[in-house]
Amino acid sequence: MRRTGLLGVLIAGLVTMLATISARAEAPPSFAANGTLTACTNPTLPPMTFVNGAEASALAGFDIDLVREIAGVWNLRPDIVQMDFEGMFPSLSAGRCGMVISGVMRQATRERNFDAIPYYESAMVVIARTGTPKISSFSELSGQTVAIETGTSYGRLIEIENAALAARGKPPIRVQLYPSEDQVIQQVLLGRAHAAMSQDVEVLYRRRQLGGKVTTIFKPDIPDFHDFAIYIRKDSVDKARLEQAVDELRRRGTLTALAHKWNIDDTLEEAAPTRGAPSRFDVQTFLSALVSRAFFKGASMTLIMALLSHVTAIAISIPIALALNGRRSLIQPVLSAYVAVFRGAPTLLQLLFIWNALPQFLPIFRESWFTPFLAAWISLSINESAYQVEINRAALRAVDRGQSLAAEALGMKKSHVYWHIVFPQALRIALPPTINDFISLLKTTSLASVISLQELLAVTQIQVARTFQFTEYYSAALVWYLGIVFFFLYVQKRIERRFTWADRDKAAAHDA
Amino acid sequence: MTLNRLPDPGKRLSIRDLSKLYNEFVALDHINLDIEQGEKIVVLGPSGSGKSTFIRCLNRIEPHNSGVLMIDGKIIDQKTDLTELRGRVGMVFQNYNLFPHLTVLENCAVAPRLVRSIPRGQAEDTARRILAQVGIAEQASKYPIQLSGGQQQRVAIARALCMDPEIILFDEPTAALDPEAISGVVLIINDLAAQGITTVCVTHEMGFARRIADRIVFMDKGRVQEITPPEEFFTAPRSARARAFLNEMIRF
Ligand SMILES: Nc1ncnc2c1ncn2[C@@H]1O[C@H](COP(=O)(O)OP(=O)(O)OP(=O)(O)O)[C@@H](O)[C@H]1O
Ligand SMILES: [Mg+2]
Repeated sequence: MRRTGLLGVLIAGLVTMLATISARAEAPPSFAANGTLTACTNPTLPPMTFVNGAEASALAGFDIDLVREIAGVWNLRPDIVQMDFEGMFPSLSAGRCGMVISGVMRQATRERNFDAIPYYESAMVVIARTGTPKISSFSELSGQTVAIETGTSYGRLIEIENAALAARGKPPIRVQLYPSEDQVIQQVLLGRAHAAMSQDVEVLYRRRQLGGKVTTIFKPDIPDFHDFAIYIRKDSVDKARLEQAVDELRRRGTLTALAHKWNIDDTLEEAAPTRGAPSRFDVQTFLSALVSRAFFKGASMTLIMALLSHVTAIAISIPIALALNGRRSLIQPVLSAYVAVFRGAPTLLQLLFIWNALPQFLPIFRESWFTPFLAAWISLSINESAYQVEINRAALRAVDRGQSLAAEALGMKKSHVYWHIVFPQALRIALPPTINDFISLLKTTSLASVISLQELLAVTQIQVARTFQFTEYYSAALVWYLGIVFFFLYVQKRIERRFTWADRDKAAAHDA
Repeated sequence: MTLNRLPDPGKRLSIRDLSKLYNEFVALDHINLDIEQGEKIVVLGPSGSGKSTFIRCLNRIEPHNSGVLMIDGKIIDQKTDLTELRGRVGMVFQNYNLFPHLTVLENCAVAPRLVRSIPRGQAEDTARRILAQVGIAEQASKYPIQLSGGQQQRVAIARALCMDPEIILFDEPTAALDPEAISGVVLIINDLAAQGITTVCVTHEMGFARRIADRIVFMDKGRVQEITPPEEFFTAPRSARARAFLNEMIRF
């Protein structure tokens, strides 16, 4: 017994040693810093990458498993960052992610800027509602509407086809762009689009989910749509190492096992639908979404982001408003320019600029402390402060000049005059437009989903992509938004009740 | 006029060659005047003659450009502590400028609390006493918007009195008042004089001027045209300008 025990320990030790040696032999790539492998993904493409379950952080799919396996090959800790599709490649450039793995096709144009490492064969498909006759070329879609996902390269394919159609005097294929794959398919289901472009794996997955409501009508053979690939920043050594790691996983049979796990092996292509069509409005789904932790967290994020940004905006805007209302000075044109720029530029653009463009100029913003939360907070605060300056200026100007004159004639210091005499009166005037702006800001926070902030709308979209139950999840989000807005309208009423002094009748009622 | 060229430190207010410019425009042109403690001065003159500008210079809400302003022997200039000065020289504005967001009591107590750091309780006790003195003790907890014009005027006077000033400046205190309320203001100003408080009052109301003034200062085009006791001013004004002004007033 003891001998075998000892032998067992010896063998185990030997195996560990060998494993360590082989792992060393496959040195990790340069983008894996501090023992962490950071991968960016847009989890809206099941079964490759999506959110599985009500929890927004529960990422799952073929790609997610693959990241973990690759990290395992190099003994790295996987770190998966979720973001909008458009955000991924800028983030890769900015060094915020080491690699992009998100069901993205290997394509020559993308390979001009990045290195691509293919890991799974796939094919582009054109889908339509079940019963739509199959076609044999794109030209048969002439005059029809086709839905595609924003940021994907299907668009260019159609452009080329349209040029050919135009040359033959035929009407072009009309394109509708949607920000996520689930919305693309929804257009087909609604009949708004005749067809949609996607990948075969996606369709396999959706077929089961949609109870066979969609079918593949065309499977063109285009080299640019053959392989899913991992993208990294250009580096031949890193590319070779990653290729080696993927080959290693292929040899071990890991890739086949994952394909089977996520039901994307070919054998399942014509599998019969296993579930009936979803009902029109599933109250149960709606209610459980409404009270789910994911929605609660999303709504909290929305609320916290709006409150924090607005408080910051007010703090920034008061000194600016005072300076702009005050005596003429050199700083006034600077402040006016600040207000004009940030009021003029679209909020979405400001968010994208701060998150994606800033790190290109200032490398310090590439570091991990610069989170989407921080970026959204900064962008929204600056944006809102520009609006708040105008509200505050108008409110301060509306307070009679005689008020500060009288206070000064009583010997009050400037600071006392502002705090005790001018601000309380300006507050009454500024309150309604401020609350209005706050409500609008509350809704604007939804834009921050483009920089991967997990606020209410982002959570909703992830749930929709997972379940395809649009109405239920959209309704739940609506209820949350309205709940928050009504709460603040109530708060406004309560505060306004304290301003009885401005109204003769109410002041009398206050006495009684 | 028999004024010495030098300011007189023995007077409550001693003004020598006081001038005020708005850019090129001369709003006050070499004003000379001495005022005794407890005296009631009324400033008369046509619109735009510089009456408001003159009294605003006395608490340095408008700083003068040249000349000497002396209060109780101390020269008032850019080095003067404004808080101290304004504690001694109170002001009541034409449209009162009461603080609408504060109750009558708070209007009166806010400056003593903030400027003199007097505890709230004590400041409010004083305010109540003074509100009683001007006859509106029962309005203490109301907001200004709930009061009549005459009541608001009294609050404005009480607010100034709460700082315990030696001099109170009035800019057209009767402009928005009915005759009965005007009589009330006359009583209050006489009462202030009895307490030794000096008042300088700008008005357009001839009857009011006649009832309260110890001396009338008549201004025109930024200059003091004459300084006369009221009986003499209204019956036999010395300057041609004053005669024209009074004729205008009577015709109107
Ligand atoms: N801040 C200012 N800037 C420029 N000019 C001014 C200013 N204040 C007053 N003035 C001018 O100074 C002159 C005197 O004004 P002031 O208000 O002292 O007149 P007033 O005698 O009080 O007139 P009224 O009887 O109409 O109140 C006027 O011509 C006025 O236009
Ligand atoms: Mg005036």
